[in-house]
This record gives sequence, structure tokens and C-alpha cells, in this order.
Amino acid sequence: MLPCTGRIEEAIILQAFEGGADGVMVVGCLEGDCHYLSGNIRARARVQRVSDILESIGIGGDRVRMYNLSAGEGAKFAAYANEFSEHIDQLGPSIINQVRNTKAEQVTA
Amino acid sequence: MNLDPQTTSIKTPLPVGAVLVVGGGISGMQSALDLANSGFKVYMVEKSPAIGGKMAQLDKTFPTNDCSMCIVSPKLVEVGRHKNIELFTHSELTGLTGEQGNFSATIRSHARFVDIAKCTGCGLCEYTCPVTYRSEFPQQTDDDGKKKYPKSKDKRLITVKELPNPSSLAAWTFSVNQEKCGKCGLCSKACLQNAIIWEKGNTANVDSAKCTGCGACFTACPDKFNAVEISNAPELEKSLGAAIVTRSQELRKAFAKNQPEHCIRCGLCAMMCKEAMGINALKLHEQGIEAGVDICQMCGSCISVCPVDYLAMEKLTNRTAQPLLDEFNERLNRRKPVNIHYPQAVPRVPTIDPDSCVQLNTGNCGICSSICGVGAINYRDEINEQTVEIGSVIYSPGFEVSDPKLRAEFGYGIYQNVVTSIEFERLLSASGPTSGTVTRPGDGSHPKKIAWIQCVGSRDHSCNREYCSSVCCMYATKEAYIAREHDKSIEPTIFYIDMRSFGKNFDEYIERAKENKVRYVRAMVSRLYEDPQTGNLELRYTDETGKRLTEEFDMVVLSVGIQVHESSKQLADLLGIAVDKYGFAVTDTFSPLAASRPGIYVSGAFNGPKDIPETVSEASGAAQVASAAIASARGSRITREQLPTERELQPDEELRIGVFICHCGTNIASVVNVPEVMEYARTLPGVVYVDKPLYTCSQDSQEQMRTIIEENNLNRIVVSACSPTTHEPLFMSTIRAAGLNKYYFDMANIRDQCSWVHPLEPDKATEKAKRLTRMAVANASQTEPLQEMEFPVDTRLLIIGGGVAGMNAALSAANQGCSVFLVEKEATLGGNLNTLRQTTDHRNIQEYLNTLITKVRQDERIKVYTSSMVVEHSGFVGAFQTEIITPTGAQRTLKHGAIILATGGMENRPSLFSLGESKQVVTQAEFERMMADEPEKFSLTRHIVMIQCVGSRDKEQQDYCSRVCCNQAVKNSLSFKKLRPEGRVDILYRDMRTYGLGELSYRKSRELGVNFIRYEPEKNMPILSSTEGGLQVLVNDPSIRSDVFLNPDLLVLSTGIKPRDTDELSSMLRCTRNRHGFFIEAHAKLRPVDLPSEGLFMAGTAHGPKNIPETISQAQAAVSRALTILSRDKLTLSAVVSKVDPKNCAVCLTCVRACPYGVPVINAEHSAEINPALCHGCGICVAECPAKTISLGRYNDKNMFAKIRSERPEPQAVEEDIA
Repeated sequence: MLPCTGRIEEAIILQAFEGGADGVMVVGCLEGDCHYLSGNIRARARVQRVSDILESIGIGGDRVRMYNLSAGEGAKFAAYANEFSEHIDQLGPSIINQVRNTKAEQVTA
Repeated sequence: MNLDPQTTSIKTPLPVGAVLVVGGGISGMQSALDLANSGFKVYMVEKSPAIGGKMAQLDKTFPTNDCSMCIVSPKLVEVGRHKNIELFTHSELTGLTGEQGNFSATIRSHARFVDIAKCTGCGLCEYTCPVTYRSEFPQQTDDDGKKKYPKSKDKRLITVKELPNPSSLAAWTFSVNQEKCGKCGLCSKACLQNAIIWEKGNTANVDSAKCTGCGACFTACPDKFNAVEISNAPELEKSLGAAIVTRSQELRKAFAKNQPEHCIRCGLCAMMCKEAMGINALKLHEQGIEAGVDICQMCGSCISVCPVDYLAMEKLTNRTAQPLLDEFNERLNRRKPVNIHYPQAVPRVPTIDPDSCVQLNTGNCGICSSICGVGAINYRDEINEQTVEIGSVIYSPGFEVSDPKLRAEFGYGIYQNVVTSIEFERLLSASGPTSGTVTRPGDGSHPKKIAWIQCVGSRDHSCNREYCSSVCCMYATKEAYIAREHDKSIEPTIFYIDMRSFGKNFDEYIERAKENKVRYVRAMVSRLYEDPQTGNLELRYTDETGKRLTEEFDMVVLSVGIQVHESSKQLADLLGIAVDKYGFAVTDTFSPLAASRPGIYVSGAFNGPKDIPETVSEASGAAQVASAAIASARGSRITREQLPTERELQPDEELRIGVFICHCGTNIASVVNVPEVMEYARTLPGVVYVDKPLYTCSQDSQEQMRTIIEENNLNRIVVSACSPTTHEPLFMSTIRAAGLNKYYFDMANIRDQCSWVHPLEPDKATEKAKRLTRMAVANASQTEPLQEMEFPVDTRLLIIGGGVAGMNAALSAANQGCSVFLVEKEATLGGNLNTLRQTTDHRNIQEYLNTLITKVRQDERIKVYTSSMVVEHSGFVGAFQTEIITPTGAQRTLKHGAIILATGGMENRPSLFSLGESKQVVTQAEFERMMADEPEKFSLTRHIVMIQCVGSRDKEQQDYCSRVCCNQAVKNSLSFKKLRPEGRVDILYRDMRTYGLGELSYRKSRELGVNFIRYEPEKNMPILSSTEGGLQVLVNDPSIRSDVFLNPDLLVLSTGIKPRDTDELSSMLRCTRNRHGFFIEAHAKLRPVDLPSEGLFMAGTAHGPKNIPETISQAQAAVSRALTILSRDKLTLSAVVSKVDPKNCAVCLTCVRACPYGVPVINAEHSAEINPALCHGCGICVAECPAKTISLGRYNDKNMFAKIRSERPEPQAVEEDIA
């Protein structure tokens, strides 16, 4: 939890991938309805930059997505979470995890 | 009658700066908190053993489906721990003398038998108490006062097919004290194992090789010798009873998986009966147990200690035993004589019921006292009377549900599967008698078809309850909705007369319920019959087409109404305040919260049926009027909170993290394996202490947390529980009270974000709870102490809008000693009131308005700016700055500490039914003005037709209910009937929403012959046409199933209310509005007049349509809320603000450009600087700063990275989302 998606910077998202995440969902207020006026717009731009970086280094830009919701849309949040989680399931483990898994197998073998 | 509290603020030289609040429900709690937070001492008297009232009993709340207990429990705790609120629970007000400003109240506290000061609320007494029935207490002493056991003349052998098979599991050791032995040999006769070695004339001995430890010898040994002794019995040092209960639990555990069908001859029942209860009705027998059926006192102790459930009440006695029933759970389950009112109770201290406690009636037992570790049980407790000095009284005793037996045709109390709505509420509740499983009381089966019958004990002349209870339509919908959430196969049907969903967002809620397969049938159920075999219920009703129908249901819920408790009426009598014939308070329309005796104020359901937000709003309003009269004594009776000095951590101090994993009753624990998470947390780096409280937020847990922090020298705290939004402040203040900086803390939400969303995957949920906890622990280890800034508060108040809400707020605030700026867009004050003439109780509005304006104009503390507009707004709570444009075009800067938005509403004028085209078509307000200003015009009028919901509840127009129109139509029809008694009025309506006491006028209008015709837009929408003879309205009247042509002289349209244009204002003040244009409150239930931004409040129609008394009480509420800020000298601001480290600042201006509020500036030292008072704490600058030289309290990079890194990559781990 953060005060605003505007606080999220590229490094935080990239750290998550480095830490083993196969996908990252960033969920902010509805555009035009940001509690801090423009934080979610900045977040969108940053998420896009991270997406570009992920694409260029072969992890895949589609592993990070930004969603916008209001606090009252619990059901929609669940739908988004399921949708994204299915999407990541289809993509499978990120290349970072693939390499790690193989290494882990080699170690156990 | 105290017509206006604002003028009658009395001139007593020294009023007392304390207020008595009678009633500890949500109303009393809100009043108490507002008062205590604005400088007044509060004494709160509550009849039941704990505060919380009806709201604590509810499962969810409409229309947001918020969990009632979850939102009320922080309030409970806040009241419970507030330094300036003194609680008197299990107490009553018995006398009130004196007068406004100087009352003296006598409070009688009933004996609780448990010392509140000593009790920790551990619940062990309740757990151990063996009594489960209402005992008959036989005399156990003879005439000389010597103890004797009752003699049985009627013995019965309790036996089953299989003979007893003695078990020596956890058996005690018995021996005979040779010195004491009377050589009588009774022990030897009693022993069924031949384990007693005895010969006549000699002392007895126990053969330990044969003894199975049944204690038959022990019970047989006469009291005068007491020679048989017990050893090796755990807890025996406390009492024999405690030892019996302990062994019983031991055996129960051992037999949990494989319960034998026979008696294990542990002998606990007989020992309990004789040694603890002093009865001796049970004796061990070769074939089972011999019971003296005539002497059994029916306490049920033997049954509760039997580890194999061999005994049952009907085997033990021929009389009918009465189980003790839990009042909090609406008598749906059992309780013990010693019991804690409910798990989250404040104070969480049990009471002993003197009617059923064995010790209090016979002097026996006493197990609870022996087992209590802190010596809190006091059997000699007595009624205690105290007198307190107070300046005002708030009377908010709440309501009780009406007696369902008044409608005998529904068979409540006879048919087991007919329950009341409050009982159903408990059935839905996760902490209720069925742990939230919807089951039939009759057979415990899961009902599929459930019917709700509305208006049971409401709108009913036959049982003297003509009023509408206002909340039943909504709560029935909620219960139906939630029942389906619990079990998708449930088919709910609601039988109703009118759907009275008149509140904010209520109609949308009904629509959602309909989508969720809640079926609504407009019909009055005439009666119901039970099928004695299945327990199902057959409902008979007539549908809208007049067809008689029968339909079978598995279960029926009676939507019982609200009524004033008899004892509340008596107390009202004692207080000398007027009540109506139903017992509701009599108040004046223009001062809706002042009771008839000066100095006494009323709020909540006692002041007319109402829902929670209205109650909360009234409660704040009552706090305001109660304190206005004694405003000069503000601060004179309070104690300031003394916090221990904050402990400064040494730079090299090792991490000592304490982790608390909450059960949240069963909310978390029923899904997440809490012990497993706890054990896992123990392994995390830095963690030195782990605990798993049942409710971490409860008062006793918080007290414990404080001691735990101190005793274990903890320096970081993690709580894995519910939402930080609701509970973080509570935990942080506890940490601070323990001497730690409150930011040495993090929370993991393992309820809302874990157990609630993964109820079907307990293993994965447990895994997730571990990970969430791990992240919180990692973050906690990175936390740093933060200091909150203190700022002086500007005590002036800005009110935007000079209508009835704004002016009332202005006068109230001025009376409280605040200076007020009242800004009105129009040239005159009064707003919408200028267009109205009469209140619903036919009081003259214009007279009232004129006095109000005069008072506002004359009050030197109020500065009125008419024809003025807000153009710019800046600052923060306690120090706002607002620019306005005055009629001269000049700009003025107003400095103030808080804002009340009272922008109001206006009449909607849709172009429907020729409104604006035909002179014969007018709105309700126009009709009202015509009748008041030119009554002579109606001398020839013979027929009026009114159409309701014109442009309201209409997807094309205003998609909400305007709340006031039905009452307005009834009021105007009554006025017209007064002018022209022979005149005819037809009201075409969809649902008559004359909620509350408005129903009485509706009834009166029907009695006077006003004709009501129901229409539905999609079925029989009225059609207006102009003929030569004038207007003609065609509508199909469903009650006669025929088209009717009406030719009115005047067509009156109820067009509803729309909010004023607040587009610019809302974006300037950053207040969100709903899609209808009404401002959105901070919390729909518990913060109804607060706006989400700190220091901003609202009142009146800006919040949603409402009538004059509701608007006035809301205005008073808004002032009450504002006073919690304006009455302070200093205000503490959030410590979570951005801070620039000038060392690395390159003065690149990125932060200056990025900040949405324009806060960063470049200072004289050539570095960016952020004013902490202006910073909103969003963190945008932190993320943007290329030099990484801006930090944001607890949301620094190191915190984020710690959290993410703690998610170590484990092979095969698939994971997403951190946001």
C-alpha cells in the first residue's frame, strides 16, 4: 500500500521482477479522480516506461499493467486481478524465474 | 418548551463543563466522542453490561454492506479508552435535579460481581462455569443453619445398553486420612471396584491397584469426617470444582475423536453435584448413574462436565428445565450465568447474573472466583449509587424491536421457523450463534426459500403502531442480499406495502438486490400456517391483481419495527421531558434535538425511527446543542492525556519486533491457520515476540499489547489483522502509549485482502497471510521514528451557503464562541426556504426564516457576505485561506480553521406533464405558496390531482428519490382539505414514502378522503391531455383494475430536489460528488457530515435531499464536528510528509514542476524546500526527484525495497502484484 500510485517509481517495479514476480499490477484511482490530482497520470507514464524496459530486455512489456479503479469497485478489482493473473499464467514464468528454476533444478540434481 | 437552544443559552454564572449521555449505542457514543473531543467531560450511562447498542448486534449495514461490528468496534474502543469519557455500564440514571447548566444526576450501578478495574476480560470464568440452566435453588440448610443435603424420594437409574467401563485416564489419586476416618465404612459400600480395604471398627484404606479414580468413596465419606483426600489433581489448589472442570476438559480432548457410547465412570458428575453444588443427587451405580430426580436443582453442571455426553436434562429430572439464553444473540443460543456481553464488548468484563448463579443463591460452587487469576470476582458486590455534576443531558436510549406476537397470525413463538429480523441478523453474523450459517431454528437445516414480511409492528393501527419504522425496507433488503451472499441457493422474497428506500443511494441498493435475485412482492400477507411435518410455512396473500395466493417457504422473517422501550418512557417521565403516545420525544420542528425540558437533548431512534447515519448525525447535533449551552465551561472538567516520554532508540539497538496475528473472531481464523502463521512469524528476522489475540483491537488486547511491548522491550510492532484504514490509528496510539514512536509499526491486512477473499482456499490463504506478514515485518525493520508537527488552529469557521443549513450552522458556531464567515451566492439569505411556506407540521416557515435572518444579521460574531462567491482556496485543516469575490468585485481573503459546505438544493423543474406550459400545472412548492399567499383563489377549486416522482426516480431525469416529496404532497393535500373540506384530491404515487412519523399524516389524509392511486412508470404511467373542459389525466387504478379519467382544476407535480451547481466549488475544495451532484461523505454510515478531506464538513441538501428538521440537526452536527478541530489550541498534522535533504539537491526544479499542489519552493540556501504543513504526502516528488534526495516518512525506497526483497525468489513461486 502506498499513499498514491504517484509514489511508485520505475525501480520499485523492476525490483519486483528481480525479486521473482512474474507480473506486476499497479492499481490507482480513476483517471481524473486522483486523490492527489495527478499522481495516477504520472504513474501511468512510469508504468509505460517500465513496460518499454521490460520489452527491450526480453522479459516482456506486457508483464506490467496499470489499472484504474475507485475504492467502491471491489468486484471490478477482483475481476481485474483474476484477468491479470490468468494473463500471467498464460505467459508463464518470467525469464528471470525460468533461469532461476533451471539453476535450482541443477542444484538439486 | 425550549424552542431554540441558540437563544436560550442561559446566563448561569458557572455552568458545569460536563455532559451526561444516557445510552451507549451508536448515538450516545458519537455524542460522547464529539463532546469529549471538544473539551467537555462526559459521563455515559448504559443499562446493559457493555456499550455498543443495537449496532453491535447487526451483521452488515445498508447500503454499503459494511460489516457493522468492524466499523463500530473502533468507536467502542475509542469511547472505552477516552480520558474524558467515564463509563457507567450495567447502570441506570435514577434521578436528575437542578437546571440547565447545573444538573445533578444520580446513577445507580447494578452489582456486576466482577471488578471492572481488575478484570482482564480473559473469559476464563465464563469458560469454566459449569452452569447452563436456570437452577431451582433448594434450601440447603436446616433450621439451625447447618448444611444438609436434600433427600431424594424418587430415584432413577440412568443407563444405556453398554455398561460403564471405567477409565483411569488422567485419574486423581484417592487416599484415606487415617486420623480423620470415622470407620463408618460408607466409602467401602460406595466403591464399585472393591478398591477400599475396610473392616468394621477399623479405618479404611484405598487399594491403589484397583482404584480407577471415580471418587465414589470421596462423595460417600460423610462431611463430618471428610477423610477421603485427593492428590495428583491439577487445579485442585484452586478448588475442587476447578479440578473437576480441568479433568473433564482433559478427558474430552482424549475422547474427541472416538467418543464412547458408555459411561466412563470418571465420577465427575457426582462429585460436581455434591461437592460443588451441594446437592448430592447423583450416585455411581453398577449399571450407570443413579439420579435423584426430585432433588436435582437442574443447574446442568453434571451435563457440562460429563466428557462423553452421557447425561441429559430429561434423564435427570421430570421437571422442565430452562436453558439460560443469550440476550445479545437474541436468545438463539445458550449462555452461562457469568458471561461477557459479546466478544468485542467494551468494557470486556463479564457480569454474573444473580438470578442463575449458584454461588450467589446457595453459597456453593464458587468455581469462577477460584479460577480467576486476578481476583476480579466479588460475590459481595452491591448496588452502588453515585452523583455526578453536569451541565447538560443527552438522552439517547435507543429502541427495542416491536413484539412480533402482536401479530398473532404470523405464529411467532409457536412456529419455530418464524424468526424476527434481529434474530436473522444474528444468524447472519459470523460471531452469531450459528457462526454465520443461515439455518432454521426448528431443525438446523439450511432454508432455501425465505420470506420477509414487512411492517410487522409498523404502520399498523391494530397494534397501536401507526408510524413507519423507516429502516425495515432497507434492512430486509440487506438481509435478503447478504443471505444470498452466504448461500447462493437461497431464494429470498420480500412482501411489502410500499418500498421505502428514501435515503441516499438506497434505490440503487434495491436495484442491486433485484439483480441479485431478491424477489419483491407487493402484498400484505394475511396469515401463515405451519406444516407440522416439515416445519415449512404456507403464506397466504392477495397479489396486486387481486388474486388470492398461497406459497410455501422454508423460513419466514418478520421485519419487526422500532419502538421505544417501556423503561425509556419511564425514564423520560422521570427526566420530565415530553413524549408522544408512542414514547418518542416531542421536539420542535425548528429545534429538533432539544427536549421539552431545558438542558436536555435527544437523539437517535428515541427521537423518531431512523437509520444509523441519521442517528450519528443527530448525535453530533445533540452534542453541539448540549455544549452550546455550557460553552463557557469548555475545558474546565477535562483531563489532558499524559503520554509517557518517547523512548529514543539507540543507533545500535538490536531489532526486537513483536508480531500480533489477529483471529478477528472467526473472520480470519476460520480461513487462515492463525497458529501456523504465528509460528512462521517467529522465524522471521528480528522477531522476538509473537501473539495471536482473538480480537487484537479489543480493549483488553490493546492493554495487553501495551504491557507486552514494555515487558519484552519491543521496538517494532507488526499487526497482521484487518484494514489499516480503520485500525491503524488505534494500534499506533497504543504503541505510543507504550512509549514507542508510533511509526515503528506496520500492518498486514490478512482479513479484507486475504481471508475474506479466499474463503475456499484455506491453505493458500494461510500461505498468503504468511507472505503479507513477512512483508510487514521486513518493512517494520526499516521504519524510522517520525514526529508529528503541531500548528496553532484558527478558530474561525467558513460556511458556504446561507440557507437554513448555513444559517443554523452559523448561529450554532457563534454560540460556541467561534467567529463565522457566512458566504452566500445570492443577494438574500434563506436559500430554498424562501420558496416554502409551511413545515410538515404546518408551522409558518417565513416567520421562522425572518427570525433566523435577523439573528444571523445581529450576531456580531457572524460576518455575512451575500452576492459573494468563493474563487480560490488554499491551506490545510486548522489554517485554511479562502478568497471570495464580493459584489463590489473586490477580492477578500478569509482565514479560517474549518469549512462547512451548505450549498443546498433547489426545486427540480423538468419539462414533463406540461409544466411551464399550462397555468393549471404547478409544482408542489408553487401549490404551497398559492395556498398560503392567495387562499381565496381556491374558493372554487373542486379537484386537485398530484403526481409523485415527476422527474425523480427516473433514469432519464433524476435517478434518485428526493425523499421529501411524499410528505410534502400529504402536507399540501391536508392544507387543501382545510381550505376546501369538500374538495377532492387524488395523489398518483409509486411508493408512498412517508417514513417515520410522517406516516401519521399520510393516514390522516386517507381518513380525510384523499384518494391514492398507485402507478408504475412501465405499467400504468398517468397520461395528461388537454380537453375543452381543461386538463384530463388518464390512469389505470390497480385497486379497482380499471382506467379512470380525472379532470382536475389543478395538476400538482412533485418534481423533487436537485443540488445546486457546485462544479467549480467541488474542484476547488477537492470534494468529490456522486453522480447526482451531492457531496460524498467520508463514510456513509459513521461520518455522514464529514467530507473526506480533513477540516471540511457539510450540512443540508448539499449532502442529499432532506426536510427542514433533518437539515437543522445536520447543521448542528456539522458544527459539532467542526468544533472537534476549532476548540483546540493546536492541531497535529501528519508526520508522513516529503522532506528534502539539501545536501544532494541539484535545484533542478523537478519537484517544483511535479507537485500537484505547488508546494516545493527554492529557498535562500539554494535548495528545494517543502512546507510540511502544506504537503499532502502523495509522494510524487519522491518518485520524480532525479537526485533521490526527497524522502516520505514511512514510504521511502528502503521500505518498499525491504518489502519486495522479503518476497525471496523461491523455486516454482509464481507471484504478482505488489501495489
